[in-house]
Amino acid sequence: MKKLLCILTALTMVLTAGLALAEGETYRIGIAQFAEHGSLDNCREGFLAGLAENGFVEGENLEVDYQNAQADMGIANQIAQGMASGDLDLICAIATPIAQACFNAADGTDIPTIYTAVTDPVAAMLATEDGTATGNVTGTSDKLPIEAQLKMIRSLMPEATKIGILYSTSEVNSESAIAEYQALAPDYGFEIVVSGISATADIPLALDALLPQVDCLSNLTDNTVVSSLPLLLDKAGEAGKPVFGSEVEQVKLGCAASEGLDYFALGKQTGAMAARVLSGEAAADIPYEVISESSLYVNYDALAAVGIELPEDQAARAIDVSTL
Amino acid sequence: MGIVLSTVEQGLIYAILALGVYITYKILDFPDLSVDSTFPLGAAVTATMITNGMHPLLTLPASMLAGALAGAVTGIIHVKCRVRDLLSGIIVMTGLYSLNLRVAQDKANLPIFGTDTLFKNGLTAALPDAVADYAPVLILLALVVLCKLCMDWFLRTRAGYLLRAVGDNPTVVTALAKDGGMVKIQGLAIANALVALSGCVMCQYQRFFEISMGTGAIVIGLASVIIGTNLFKNLSFLRATSAVVIGSILYKACVAIALSSGLLPKPQDMKFVTAVLFLLILALGEVRRKKVKAHA
Repeated sequence: MKKLLCILTALTMVLTAGLALAEGETYRIGIAQFAEHGSLDNCREGFLAGLAENGFVEGENLEVDYQNAQADMGIANQIAQGMASGDLDLICAIATPIAQACFNAADGTDIPTIYTAVTDPVAAMLATEDGTATGNVTGTSDKLPIEAQLKMIRSLMPEATKIGILYSTSEVNSESAIAEYQALAPDYGFEIVVSGISATADIPLALDALLPQVDCLSNLTDNTVVSSLPLLLDKAGEAGKPVFGSEVEQVKLGCAASEGLDYFALGKQTGAMAARVLSGEAAADIPYEVISESSLYVNYDALAAVGIELPEDQAARAIDVSTL
Repeated sequence: MGIVLSTVEQGLIYAILALGVYITYKILDFPDLSVDSTFPLGAAVTATMITNGMHPLLTLPASMLAGALAGAVTGIIHVKCRVRDLLSGIIVMTGLYSLNLRVAQDKANLPIFGTDTLFKNGLTAALPDAVADYAPVLILLALVVLCKLCMDWFLRTRAGYLLRAVGDNPTVVTALAKDGGMVKIQGLAIANALVALSGCVMCQYQRFFEISMGTGAIVIGLASVIIGTNLFKNLSFLRATSAVVIGSILYKACVAIALSSGLLPKPQDMKFVTAVLFLLILALGEVRRKKVKAHA
């Protein structure tokens, strides 16, 4: 017993000494993520990397409370309310519904909300038309580079006329992306054929109806559809039609190519914004940011399977995902 | 303190839903799945009305009416078309999904930040700071107590008696020369009116409508009803309706405890810890009951 006490005392002393060594202030932030999802996970890791680059390192001068709502709105609200009632310096919210929940919960406190992976902050009422914040909130948008994607599909498939898009009617991000697709498609000689689903279980039927009508498929960042990507790739593969992804993770899984966002970079950009807020700038004074440039990610195996060769001008800038 | 307050607030919001589920599940013995879409229906009606500049108070009766209609449809499908109870709920749940999107102006997510709501308006803004923090919980408490008292009163009326009889012993209803089917339709309408009211209040509390907010609503409702009624079975002074309200707050408390970072090895384990907490509550209730019996 005495020995144990000795060890405990020694341990406590070492710990206190360690804490005393860590100089300066320690910041506490909360990360509220809406669902478990490759892109959102990349966002979170990028966010922490962005903070670290600016001197806020997890475990050194940064304490992180990470919570995941597992796509449950009720729990998203509880997480948001819980974080807002703590003594955090900042809340990082990943994806639209939880960003709204955090913004709502933190309203009336002095905790700023920094969001990321929100496609349309204006529609979500997290920002006004002119880009200024609607409160103590700012962040980054993961708006799809749709024009670049259409350009890329045109150069890879000069004969194609119809692009099919599968989306879930429950996701507001998908709706705005489809509206933009439909507005831009005629400029590149395409027609967009959409098919709306409400649950994962609808996907096989919807694909069977959609695939014969189109020359290729193009994905959005629709969570329901992306979660069932292997099924979608299987069905499209059987029909011999290429699938174009909306970000790098999808190309890794077998999409032919994508003009995509790098969610890690998006998170990093958000982390840099968060660092500015932690250093004393007001979130409301920082306009939200959009990643503008996209990169071309290519899966050569998938391209070969549908008999498409990458034009030389595209090949020069393409990033081969098999090497990533 | 803040986290306790917000847990109680959300528990109270879902308590209205749980009262509705209590009518269908416990009284009518009807597993009503339409709840998963009448909850967002109330929210959709609310968000649309508020974005069109209507008074937040008007949304309460409006969403109740919408919910009652949807509940009546579930009842009519079941009673008149002789469709199994589960399936008639599923039919309404499926159909309402699209209808909810239509009601919400074709948007899957409709925010109402910056407009007056039940919880943020001229009146609450005028409150002194010390009271203002408690305004939402007091408003909710008043609303829930009102719902509970109305339900207690209703269950003691003739119509309420028939409602209980339909679930317990349908022959009694027939013997009284009453149409049991009509009573069922009525019960489902009342239940879903409460569920939609809960959705309406939730929408104003979180200040946005989201089509997926109903997913799992029936699970929360059922869990609240079962936790409440099982745990307080022996406390005869506590009405079942009060037990359901407390059950709903306990449900949210379980989730809040599971979320508080200390218990979670990893954020992914949150649901598992919640499940273990439910089991603990129910098991404790069982142990306590045995003890009471042993003393008797």
